[in-house]
Amino acid sequence: MIRLLRRASLAVGIMGLVAAVLRLRGTGGTPPQSGGWRELSGPDLR
Amino acid sequence: MRLAVLGAGAVGSRAARQLASTPGVRALTVADPDARLVASVCASLGPMATPSTSPEVDLAGHDVAVLAGPGKHHRAQAERALDAGVSVVSCTNELAPARQLLALDDEARVRGKTVAVGAGFAPGLSDLLAAHAGRLLDEVHEVHVARYGTGGPACARAHHASLRGLALDWRDGAWISRQGGSGRELAWFPDPVAGQDCYRASLPDALLFGPAFPGLQRATSRVAATRRDRLTAPLPMLRQPHPEGLVGAVRVEVRGRRGQSFETVVYGAVDRPGLAAGAVAAVVAVAAGTGLARPGAAGLAVLLPDPLPLLHELANRGIRCATFAGSA
Repeated sequence: MIRLLRRASLAVGIMGLVAAVLRLRGTGGTPPQSGGWRELSGPDLR
Repeated sequence: MRLAVLGAGAVGSRAARQLASTPGVRALTVADPDARLVASVCASLGPMATPSTSPEVDLAGHDVAVLAGPGKHHRAQAERALDAGVSVVSCTNELAPARQLLALDDEARVRGKTVAVGAGFAPGLSDLLAAHAGRLLDEVHEVHVARYGTGGPACARAHHASLRGLALDWRDGAWISRQGGSGRELAWFPDPVAGQDCYRASLPDALLFGPAFPGLQRATSRVAATRRDRLTAPLPMLRQPHPEGLVGAVRVEVRGRRGQSFETVVYGAVDRPGLAAGAVAAVVAVAAGTGLARPGAAGLAVLLPDPLPLLHELANRGIRCATFAGSA
């Protein structure tokens, strides 16, 4: 029983470690602060 | 014009349908090892289409061959096409096949034929948008491409493989290899896709931009992926890819100098990747068949320095592009 609990806690710990690494990797970014998308039309396609 | 479409999957079948509705296209040969698939595609195209299940379909007498099957066959297919005096339009979005096709540049120039590399959604539409943005600037310093979504099963497999390969970035006159799946960046696509985390991947985009923009300092490409995509990238695909992806998007950010100021031009598009890739392949094939594209093996930004006629044609076919106005 204790061995099972140890294995389960080890598995949970490894999963947490992997999740933390995946979560922390990379720098992310910020969304645009102003403006937006508009379709390319007439004057844009000359 | 007589064209051959090799591969009748999500992109090839769309390209064939787009070509069948193009004035000036008299005959189409559609080839795919799947006899039922190629028969159903040809049945929908009418008498102008001829089906073939041969892996080495006879290309003699054709003007252009559209390569829409697995990328690993594109080099051999392109060599056969050039031997037969046929221009080539490859829809590959994989790095290795693109590199192999670019090596055909000398042969294509000698024969006066076009080998268009990466005529799909990204690369493809992204190259046309980058070329258009480049025309607004006096000097292009940086090109950054991001894409979201996949087309058919082959595209999904290529997306999966790209995250475990080495990414190729152009920085200050040198190629830099980085691990795929690294370098998270939030890319903002047109609605409804909006913000997506994008990562480095083994993609050919940077390779194709270099010759198009002399003085280019940085070129990068990223692909949207989930954490599960990145975690499972080293493994074989855990389940069968979907028959066709849903909505996809592409974003092209071009930075450079206009007059005395430094400016950033951002273009994007949202569509089903397989559908858009088929339309791009079709309009590029027509451009190659009518002599609008330069001879040689290169990306679209090199072969078609004036992308406007193609962007207009794509808009007529329902592929709408957008520009980001504001502070990106």
